Amino acid sequence: MTEPLVVAEAVEMSFAPRGILARGRPVRAVAGVDATVARGEALGVVGESGSGKSTLGRVLLGLLAATGGAVRFDGQPLPKPGSNAWRALRARMGIVFQDPFGSLDARRTIGAQVEDGLAIHTDLSAAERRAKLTEMFVRVGLDPQRLGAYPHEFSGGQRQRLGIARALATNPDFLVADEPVSALDVSIQAQVVRLLADLRRDLGLAMLFISHDLPVVRHLCDRVIVMYLGRVMEEGPVAEVFARPSHPYTRALLSATPRLDPAKRLSRVILPGEPPSPTNPPSGCVFRTRCALALPACAEAVPPLREIGGAAHRVACIRADEIN
Amino acid sequence: MRKLWIPGAVVALIVLIAIAAPVLPLMDPIRQDVANRLAAYVPGSPMGRDEFGRDVFSRLIWGARSSLAVAFASATIAAVIGTALGLLGGWFRGVVEFLAIRGADVVLCFPPVLLALLVVTLLGPGTATLILVLSVLYLPGFIRVSFAEVLSARSQDYVEAVRALGARTPRILLRTVLPNIAGPVLVQLSLAVASAVVLESGLSFLGLGVVPPTPSWGLMIRGARATMEQAPMLLLWPCLALTVTILAMNLLCDAVRDVADKRGGGGAKKLRLVDRLLPGLFPAPAAPQPLLDVQGLTVEIATPGGIIRPVEDMAFRLDAGRTLAIVGESGSGKSMAATAIMGLLPPAARVADGVARFEGDDLLRMPEPARRKLRGGAMAMVFQDPMSSLNPVHRIGDQVAEAIRAHRDVPAGKAAAEAVELLKRVGIADPERRARAYPHELSGGMRQRVMIAMAIANRPRLLIADEPTTALDVTVQAAILELLAELRRAEGMGVVLITHSLGVVAEVAEDVVVMYAAQVVESGPVAEVFARPLHPYTRALLAAVPDGDIEPEGIPGVVPRPDAWPPGCRFAPRCGFATEACATPPPLEEFENHAVRCIRWRELSA
Repeated sequence: MTEPLVVAEAVEMSFAPRGILARGRPVRAVAGVDATVARGEALGVVGESGSGKSTLGRVLLGLLAATGGAVRFDGQPLPKPGSNAWRALRARMGIVFQDPFGSLDARRTIGAQVEDGLAIHTDLSAAERRAKLTEMFVRVGLDPQRLGAYPHEFSGGQRQRLGIARALATNPDFLVADEPVSALDVSIQAQVVRLLADLRRDLGLAMLFISHDLPVVRHLCDRVIVMYLGRVMEEGPVAEVFARPSHPYTRALLSATPRLDPAKRLSRVILPGEPPSPTNPPSGCVFRTRCALALPACAEAVPPLREIGGAAHRVACIRADEIN
Repeated sequence: MRKLWIPGAVVALIVLIAIAAPVLPLMDPIRQDVANRLAAYVPGSPMGRDEFGRDVFSRLIWGARSSLAVAFASATIAAVIGTALGLLGGWFRGVVEFLAIRGADVVLCFPPVLLALLVVTLLGPGTATLILVLSVLYLPGFIRVSFAEVLSARSQDYVEAVRALGARTPRILLRTVLPNIAGPVLVQLSLAVASAVVLESGLSFLGLGVVPPTPSWGLMIRGARATMEQAPMLLLWPCLALTVTILAMNLLCDAVRDVADKRGGGGAKKLRLVDRLLPGLFPAPAAPQPLLDVQGLTVEIATPGGIIRPVEDMAFRLDAGRTLAIVGESGSGKSMAATAIMGLLPPAARVADGVARFEGDDLLRMPEPARRKLRGGAMAMVFQDPMSSLNPVHRIGDQVAEAIRAHRDVPAGKAAAEAVELLKRVGIADPERRARAYPHELSGGMRQRVMIAMAIANRPRLLIADEPTTALDVTVQAAILELLAELRRAEGMGVVLITHSLGVVAEVAEDVVVMYAAQVVESGPVAEVFARPLHPYTRALLAAVPDGDIEPEGIPGVVPRPDAWPPGCRFAPRCGFATEACATPPPLEEFENHAVRCIRWRELSA
């Protein structure tokens, strides 16, 4: 069996305080995460702000060089950011951002922005690029007549389509979508999620879908990893994790997600206190300070991810067996 | 584009005249004629003669040549070098940043005149020296401005996006970063040109700049000063020329910046404020009196394109101790309705019609002092973004105490103690210590708790919460919603909750008002509306929520803009059930406790 397209092994990402007078500990945004994304697979990454999910996405893309562990793309280690090999690799990876307003340059036409990737990575003539651009616009459901328009002429949902078109113009194999629908109205969210699902199927894209919204992940992804304070708490096939959430944090997250029929959700778990600071995480299990099930043993060692109930469902909790 | 014309024409005229000075039929600006010394008028010299009998008009125009040449040359040199240094410093940071920024700081340390004296002593006075001195003087401004702009631009997603596409650094700097920092640099350029004209005059006036007898505006002022009492007009002309040039330059640069800015919506629109309230003719409220009874609320905003109505004919009733949710997508008018009720509409908007009775008194027609007494007292509001609603320079305990003292006459010490009590009440651990914290020291959830503590400080009977949990994580949202529900039960408050999340509505509200494009499309008890939605929009909205096993369905199209509402039913263009009859505006049909604005609801729900 060949290796998955993207393989991350024990990836660490720490941000050291910078500047001459800077003091203090580094922030460990990602603390030893294993992840794989196979060709054509969609992996969801779920967690709240500060969980390190966006940082993980940027490390897998190679936009940030991991401070520990290794990331391989298509069997090769990721080259150093800024090198020629790294730059060439950009054509094979794309990113879609959360903010439909900040992610497009307000001062350039949308055509020019979607065209950037082609201009950088291909030798296509202007006419060929134009044809490709038109094709891309049609694919994401935008009117190709409007190539010369500026971003402010478009609605939030249309801008997200533009962001997707920009990311996909060079036919990448791997797409990181960082909360692409979080800023959109619910009626538009479903349109964009549908578009991403269609593109993934039609283009055979491998996708990392970062979200704080569990229900969205459920419909788009094959597998999901749940992160808290830079670590993976639980991972597994989407249906499995949603049906049998086995980490107290996953259960808290699911129970907090409002449902149209509140009777259908898990009885609500309100997390006490606040998330600990990533500069000074708790010993052992990082979630134990807010966990209702924490034991003294939870403070001693970082619980390893272990398989539970088969089907690649893994949980980092020593009491997982008692939960379900 | 029109904004460019007038200042552009004036600047072009000034520059053209200066360039054309040698070919214009002017008198020799340096030929002296002592006989006509200080003459107010001599044929051929409309502005008279100066202290050496030289023609003032001709000197003014020739003077523009040297003054403007020095100003433009030095400002341009400073802009090009300064922007390049700022760009590189901001992008590469490290050593480049250190050299550029610290270098600029060193230049800033010198008083300009001292620096000019130093350079002039070394190089001797003259136009070239002056250009050199002025460019060095303006360099730090450009470095600073472009450096700061690059720092803020480089963290933007669109810059990250081109980087993710593998663009080389020069491409990123020139095509993405430079256009985005051009606005402030252009403004800086206009300031530099304007102040260079002034400085040139000043330095020439001191004898450090342009060398006599070459005319320049500064030298003219210098000469005129000596004879100010005999010929005051001699001082006026060069000063007038200076003023007009600088004003025109500033206007031109402002206009260029606005035209170059493609962000759209640029520049605040000037809005007409017509504040006339029509007396409401509504029947007295039926007993038992609801806590809040809103009828026919309409809000208007005058825009250059005509009047728009972000809220139209809105109605709902809220009883004490209940929670009513107003739900809708962005642009549906739900927040505008709430701010209208609170009397916090932005100046451009006004209530055009309707009544909002709070315990029987119409809030919309109440004099502002009376309304201010109610706000923060009997009725309170919680906003979406607690960071911008809290004052960053005051401790949170003091801010809560301030909210208490604004409505009740309590001594400071007692208010502070009560503030700590309130912080404890909203679930802030260690309230004594947290009361001394500043807003930035708290997490988003904590800040929202502080906002709620301020809102309930005076035991309000009505609480309006405008998207109180939208900016928060779900686990924090759950805690805040729980807190609101608990407070409502304990205090018997009526709560109006504005949200875009149907899940939140289902969790906490008893009644719901669904808004679309400024209108109420459906309202009723949550259980009923969510189980059997009557309006196609409510139905589509519920189907779009990712929830359970059914794949969410998007609604085709987008919410129409307030200046282009569809003529009939506003949802018709996106509605799968629309017929020709939907081209006329449907009325809001009310029955028992449910209301719906759709002509086909009966057949569709059958």
